Amino acid sequence: MLEISNIDVCYGDLQALWDVSLTVGGGEIVTLVGSNGAGKSTIMKAISGLLKPKTGSISFEGICVNKLPAHRIAELGISMVPEGRRLFPQMSVLENLEVGASAREAKKARHNTISWIYELFPILRARARQRAVTLSGGEQQMLAIGRALMSQPRLLLIDEMSLGLAPLLVQEISQVIKDINKSRKLTIFLVEQDVNMALSMADRGYIIEHGRIQSEGAARELLCNERIKEAYLGISPGGKAG
Amino acid sequence: MENVIQAIVSGILVGALYALIAYGLGLIMGIMKFLNVAHGSFLILGGYVSYWIFTLWGIDPYLSVPLVIIATFLTGLILYKLTLSPLLKLPDIEMRVANSLLVTFGVIYVLDNAMALTWTPNSRSIMTSYTGEAIDIFGAHLSITGLCGLGIAILVAVALYFILSKTYFGKHVRAATQDAEAASLCGVNVQRTYLISCGIAVALAGVAGVIVVSSYSVTPTSGLSWLLIGIVVMVLAGEGNINAILPAGIILGLIESASIFVVGAPYRQAVALVIFIIVLMFRPQGLFTGREQKSI
Repeated sequence: MLEISNIDVCYGDLQALWDVSLTVGGGEIVTLVGSNGAGKSTIMKAISGLLKPKTGSISFEGICVNKLPAHRIAELGISMVPEGRRLFPQMSVLENLEVGASAREAKKARHNTISWIYELFPILRARARQRAVTLSGGEQQMLAIGRALMSQPRLLLIDEMSLGLAPLLVQEISQVIKDINKSRKLTIFLVEQDVNMALSMADRGYIIEHGRIQSEGAARELLCNERIKEAYLGISPGGKAG
Repeated sequence: MENVIQAIVSGILVGALYALIAYGLGLIMGIMKFLNVAHGSFLILGGYVSYWIFTLWGIDPYLSVPLVIIATFLTGLILYKLTLSPLLKLPDIEMRVANSLLVTFGVIYVLDNAMALTWTPNSRSIMTSYTGEAIDIFGAHLSITGLCGLGIAILVAVALYFILSKTYFGKHVRAATQDAEAASLCGVNVQRTYLISCGIAVALAGVAGVIVVSSYSVTPTSGLSWLLIGIVVMVLAGEGNINAILPAGIILGLIESASIFVVGAPYRQAVALVIFIIVLMFRPQGLFTGREQKSI
């Protein structure tokens, strides 16, 4: 479904990604994990069209999206929950959801989609008329996911879902994501710093360090990998948590 | 007592015109963070278009409003494409404001000279059968042209409120204003939203020009004084606070009207500027916007 081949991405003169390649298959949950500043969000921005790769290609369902603007990529079926949620703070919950359905087809189906989002996150129905800025962190994350789902995407990108949220809330939202993946066959590409959580919910994973993909494999295998355990989970080879 | 009523009525009528002038300015500033100092020249252009339509075909200035809107809307699209859109690449808002000021200052020269070539530098105004006519209510004289201005200003206020809060385009405008990148991730074509907004803003200047040319007069270089009024109203309302522009305009109109009694008519614009400086010093966010609140 999504194929990234040998991309280099720069911020001005500063190169952030080197020769990155990865694939996401239809219906999968794939995660990209790595430490802060490793280049995870840069990959998300490149896929969604906010950054243009200097070399290499990104294709979605066979269409090269390298040079397309972000709104065209959203219309093609890629939707993103950005890091920090990036809601429209002065607009109501309902208006935020409506803006999420800006593509033509999504606009037609928006009433049904809103009902579905309210079933997923009932608190959003109660907060429908409230401005987004007045929501709690967890509610904002639910709204950000809801807004991204409004475009009826085939690929959902989620950047740092757990950032600043209580573990219980992260579990609750992760469960909703897994349910959507199963019931709607929605492909999910998840970028996370919380390696344990991300690999626990994913089918496959990639590890990124200093702008380069270091390893990849089935999520369960990566969770058992001694080097990953030591570097990201703080578990020493002897099995003790550091 | 009659004088007081007359001053209040005159203040409201002229304030409505001031609001109409500020709508386009506030729209561009609120949405794109561009300070369009050529706004006054676009107002004069709208006045000349209406004058031309009246002179060539004898069409009443208020009936010519749709044609003026079309002409100035298209001018707004050209303004955006040629001068403003390249500035969106600038990294921060301060640079955007400063550069837009310089670029649109250049637009003033081009536009003012083009208008001088087309319509000569002579003063032009439209004299209709109702020019100078007034209706008497409770002893106050309400000029017909002033009432038309008030009606149009209210219509614009209601239309903008409806467009911004009820339509998909309005929601796109507000989303792009609050976070352009996040809006584009939602599928909003931010560039197109800006383009149409710029067209609407310049068209609103054109509409204000119709009232100016039928109530006062226009010359190719008279846009600057109207621009100044627009900026004062925009600052009183608060940056991007479109819903507060009509009350802010009427407040300025009332203050000016009152100042005629206190300091005399020649100094009324000086009073407006003093108000502008005071507001900038003590309430830079405007009279109607909270410290943390950003509108549109």
